[in-house]
Amino acid sequence: MISRRSVRNILKSSVGAALCCLSLHASPQDLIAHRDSDVETLTRNEARLFFTMRLKNWPNGTLVKVFVLPDNNALHNRFSNEVLGLYPYQLRRVWDRQIFSGTGQAPTTVSSEQEMLDRIATTPGAIGYADGPIDNSSIRLLEVR
Amino acid sequence: MRTRLAIAVMLAWLIPSAAPALEFVEGKLQVHGFASQAVLKSTDNYYFGNSPGTSFDFTEIGLNASYQSTPSLLFSGQLLVRRAGEMYDGTPSLDYGLVDFTPISDTERRLGVRLGRIKNPFGLYNETRDVPFTRPSIFLPQVIYYDKIRNALLSYDGIMFYGDRYLEQGNLSLNLGVGQSVIDDNAEWAYLGADVDGEMQADGINWGIGSLWFSTPADELKLGLSAILTELDFDAGPGSPLSSGTIDVFDWVASFQYNAADWTISAEYSRAPTHWNDLGPYFPFKDQVMEGYYLQGAYRLRPNLEIMARYEEGFANRNDRDGRDFSDLTGGTTPRFDFFSKILTAGLRWDLNPNIMFRLEFQRHDGTYALSIRENPDSGDLVREWDVFAASISVRF
Repeated sequence: MISRRSVRNILKSSVGAALCCLSLHASPQDLIAHRDSDVETLTRNEARLFFTMRLKNWPNGTLVKVFVLPDNNALHNRFSNEVLGLYPYQLRRVWDRQIFSGTGQAPTTVSSEQEMLDRIATTPGAIGYADGPIDNSSIRLLEVR
Repeated sequence: MRTRLAIAVMLAWLIPSAAPALEFVEGKLQVHGFASQAVLKSTDNYYFGNSPGTSFDFTEIGLNASYQSTPSLLFSGQLLVRRAGEMYDGTPSLDYGLVDFTPISDTERRLGVRLGRIKNPFGLYNETRDVPFTRPSIFLPQVIYYDKIRNALLSYDGIMFYGDRYLEQGNLSLNLGVGQSVIDDNAEWAYLGADVDGEMQADGINWGIGSLWFSTPADELKLGLSAILTELDFDAGPGSPLSSGTIDVFDWVASFQYNAADWTISAEYSRAPTHWNDLGPYFPFKDQVMEGYYLQGAYRLRPNLEIMARYEEGFANRNDRDGRDFSDLTGGTTPRFDFFSKILTAGLRWDLNPNIMFRLEFQRHDGTYALSIRENPDSGDLVREWDVFAASISVRF
């Protein structure tokens, strides 16, 4: 006999499966990029090179545009710690060294997660991060290994 | 004086909590800037202005633009306005202005060249030493990052080659540059002890710099070695007691930093063998090996609240750490304690938001070597043991 709980679980997982097929589910462990980016996976070191603005081009040669949330944003902190393995103050230090010595630039800071999604979807070469499901065919999920 | 502080407070008020940088041309052109105002009070001696009577003469304003025209081509420049007591009067100057070309850049390496006015990658802090947000404290460790001859170390006009190698075990970074140093009046005060009739200048290519850095992949550990080799020319004027001559300096620093989630430990050791040549019988010094080192810790109570402490020692001559021989050379007119500085610093940093920062700082000095002779021309007025209180407000975008 099937208990009501198992029915509920089956329902839940099938809804989950359906949702999964309808939209990408991004956990903070995932990077997102504009759909034109020609990579699907990055190593952690490669992700660090992009986010510290030391690697400025995709393998196909186009300019990388990095988007981040403000330094004190909770998602930014989680992404920095868990995906890049860097403390947020280290990222800030690298960016500041570059912009104030003329040897590089800083990422573009967006003010909200929605703005992040909008900018990634509409900017060729864009890379960023998101939390929660993404329903946008212009955004690609990158796996970090 | 007070109006400057009022303006700084007003600026802080006006800048919204998350002021974005200005961006144009699809983000390829970025404009960033900062402004900072400090107030100082010392028990004795002139330090960034008339500090015994409370000084507001420490103001820093910078505005820069950078244009990434392609992934391999970057143009950048920064204007700096800096008021620092009698040392710098706030005349705007070109801090850096360069073109950066990176023909090779992938996930394993980067090779490039910079041309123009380039900041010296000397030690942990020199490249961005005037940006309060990037400093560990209101005052940089003066025994290595002398403010009294700041411009001599700051930047040079020339060419720099750089290479990065990204490995599993960490990243290696090498910079090599040559060119001409940027010299101002403070160099004369610092190296000749007075504003002597004549001209201190760079004759041809007189500047060489190299630095090598290693950092673990996540930047926990950072190790560096930087060195500068330079020769300054002094052309004596008709009224000069000194003859025309040269000054050779070889300045090197070894750097260490460890970064953890809540704390950062930094330490640096520097030595600068200096030779004075042909300046005539009235110049007392010939050789010295300047030396400086510090140990510094910062602890973040919260991500936006940091306390720091540092102990540093610096000597005009490491073979004469108590200043006895040098003081004798001056016939005792310059006291022994003017040839060393031992400084204890304690500070608090509070970032109200990513764009506004407040700092409080206390320093206890033993010795006056860190002081500018230009600000303290009469060695008879120097006081050996003195304290400084400072506070600052800084904004950025």
